[in-house]
Amino acid sequence: MLALENVHTYYGKSHILHGVSIEVGPGEVVGLLGRNGVGKSTTLKTIMGLVRPSGGSVRFEGRDIAGMAPHRPAHLGIAYVPEERRIFRLLSVLENLRTGLDRPGVSESRKNELLENAYEHFPVLRDRRNQAGGTLSGGEQQMLAIARAMMLDPKIILLDEPTEGLMPRMVSQIREIIHVLHRGGVAILLVEQNVPLTLEVSSRVYIMEKGVVRHHGPTADLRANQAVIHQYLGV
Amino acid sequence: MAIPFDQILIQTVNGLVNGMILALVASGLTLIFGIMDIVNFAHGELVMLGGFTGATALAVTGSFWLALVAAVLTIALLGALLQATALRPLVGRDPLTTILATFGISLVLQKYALWQWGPSARKLQEPITGQFNLFYLEYPWYRVLTALLAAGIIGALYLFLRYGKYGIWIRAATQDRIMAQAMGIPVPLVHAVVFGIGASMAAASGVLFGPLGGVTQTMGADFTLRAFIVVVVGGMGNLGGSILASILISLIEAYASLVVSPAQAVIASFVVLILTQLFRPTGLFVPTPK
Amino acid sequence: MTTRSSAAGYWIGFGVVLALLAVAPLVLPEFWRRFVTEILVWGLLAMSSDILIGYTGMVSFGHSAFFGLGMYGAAAALLTVRPPNLWLAIVYGLVGAGLVAVFVAYFSTRLRDIYFAITTLVFSQIFYVIIFTWTEVTGGENGLTFRQPPFAIPGLVSVPFTPVTLHWFILGVVVVSYVVLRRIMQSPFGKVLQAIRENEPRTRAIGYHVERYKIVAVMLSGLFAGLAGVLYAVQNKFTAPDFVFFLISGEVVIFNVMGGMGTLVGPVAGAAFFLVLREGLSRFWTEYYLIPVGLIFTAMVIFMPQGLLGFLKRRLNQ
Repeated sequence: MLALENVHTYYGKSHILHGVSIEVGPGEVVGLLGRNGVGKSTTLKTIMGLVRPSGGSVRFEGRDIAGMAPHRPAHLGIAYVPEERRIFRLLSVLENLRTGLDRPGVSESRKNELLENAYEHFPVLRDRRNQAGGTLSGGEQQMLAIARAMMLDPKIILLDEPTEGLMPRMVSQIREIIHVLHRGGVAILLVEQNVPLTLEVSSRVYIMEKGVVRHHGPTADLRANQAVIHQYLGV
Repeated sequence: MAIPFDQILIQTVNGLVNGMILALVASGLTLIFGIMDIVNFAHGELVMLGGFTGATALAVTGSFWLALVAAVLTIALLGALLQATALRPLVGRDPLTTILATFGISLVLQKYALWQWGPSARKLQEPITGQFNLFYLEYPWYRVLTALLAAGIIGALYLFLRYGKYGIWIRAATQDRIMAQAMGIPVPLVHAVVFGIGASMAAASGVLFGPLGGVTQTMGADFTLRAFIVVVVGGMGNLGGSILASILISLIEAYASLVVSPAQAVIASFVVLILTQLFRPTGLFVPTPK
Repeated sequence: MTTRSSAAGYWIGFGVVLALLAVAPLVLPEFWRRFVTEILVWGLLAMSSDILIGYTGMVSFGHSAFFGLGMYGAAAALLTVRPPNLWLAIVYGLVGAGLVAVFVAYFSTRLRDIYFAITTLVFSQIFYVIIFTWTEVTGGENGLTFRQPPFAIPGLVSVPFTPVTLHWFILGVVVVSYVVLRRIMQSPFGKVLQAIRENEPRTRAIGYHVERYKIVAVMLSGLFAGLAGVLYAVQNKFTAPDFVFFLISGEVVIFNVMGGMGTLVGPVAGAAFFLVLREGLSRFWTEYYLIPVGLIFTAMVIFMPQGLLGFLKRRLNQ
């Protein structure tokens, strides 16, 4: 469904991605592991069209999306939960959610359905729907960021370190929602530092180092191969 | 020298009316700045073009209100076009480049107006001619209507931004352009529309001002300067602040013109600007940042 | 290309241009001789504003105030002191421009970007209104006319200017100003100004007293702009409020953008380009010449931010 092939990306003059190839099938949960600064986040930004790749191709359902306007991927069904969460701080919780709902071609009843669905999984958002996004706690903001992505009715969600800095109780809530999304048939590309969580929820895993994919295979193989984990992730 | 009380009261009314027209100009300017970080040096020229377009439309249709609508729509389109062609390439560059680019645009617009409408002033015929007694003066109802209309348009802008889908889009794009795009909001389109709205508010001020002061091709610079003063005094990008500052500045100028010539009264507003920058650089009507 | 040969190339180019400018009044007809002299004066004004726009990253929309006060300062000296004295005119002009510069410098320490631009604009308008309305002293709308002072070195010579010697005198002042400014901008002081342009917070964090540098930059810029005003007054033998009006400031900004900011010579080239463009276009377009000029200017901001000079340099290096 989503396929990156030999993608090269630059920030200014620094070469960040040196030919990354990644594939995610429909409904599949795929982990992307690696230390800080190896290009995981840049990979997601490249998929979203927020940075332009200088070479290679990014395809979604067979269409080349690399050169598209940055607001187009969302309409095709790619949702993005960035590392810094990037809540619209001065918008209320409900307005944050509506940024993803008010697209052309979504009926009122479907909008309500999506909202109710999100409120069901994150009841705290219902309670705080009229509160400014910036006033939420870190964990609540992460919930909101994921709920906001769900408003796009996506085929795939790109999750960038969703558990970073969260309390264990929040982490298990994130784990829970990943399972829910997976059961609902949504594919997930999960960037994480949390290796146990990633190995638990993903079916396949890519490991990156210095802008290239060093290892990739089914999660089961990786679990059996602790040496690889140690070599690239230092755990 | 004692100034009679009735004169002070008349100047108060004048100051309020002028203040509301200025507030309408400044709201458009502050909207464009708050949302896109663009300092629009051509804003006064849009007021002027609005006035001339209104004058032409009035001559053709004979209706002031139709002329107002025509001018607003024409200048909104022009504004959106300017944003899409000249300003979009500058997104992400040094903010100084937008000052320079809009300055260049202002030169073109002003001379275009001179070419199209000539150097003489056009006075628009006011749509209502009634008057009421304000002491020894017959005060025109039109002036009061102008203030109310300006307030109405600004109120509509506020509601538009506060509620409704496009208001959310605009505010989301202001706070985080990148994330707004990732949520599927067409930010370049939003920017063009916002510039169009700001331009159309300038045009409305130009038409409303037409019967009061007349429209000349040189009026733009004056409006630009005064709107800038107001926006800085009120706090950059702060809608409520600009409105209060417009009224404050206009009242001060109105009172000052009781004692000195109108040309010198302008200096009063300059002094307010300079004092504000000295003591409250974030603006008079903004809570002091903690 | 090695740095040594490029430095040699620079001085050869400098010498050639200087020689051409020196010979120009001898071969050009009256009209164009005046024209070239005016380019030099406007070029000096543009160069002075480049210190702020190009080197420190502060767009001044108030350079007309420095220029205008330089003119009125010179006028004061030439009208009150008999016989008219050139050097006194320069001193008075510099004092006038310097006083304005003190005001502006005081504010510029705390203002950035658009706030600086608006405040300089407002300052110049204040001086414009004062000069325009204070008719008894400034002549109001009509301005002041006066006699041209002779070129004099006390105790040695005193000869009236001819158009050719006046051109040489102005050329000399502009060239000395250029060499001085270039030296200053290449000094550690100039480097700090450029650091402020690139990243003001970082420059402050390193420990530079940014405010002081900005004050000096504004003073420097204002004084050289005032000098240009004095030269213009001496050349034209009159002064008027129009020269304090912000349209002049706008033109100065145009000179900078067209020629290339942050190069000192760029703005001079920009002034020449603009004046030639105006001369050529206004023959067909009269005052509408600003329509095409404005379009060219805007296009240059977007597509050629390094200006004519930067553009040519890049072409030559390819």
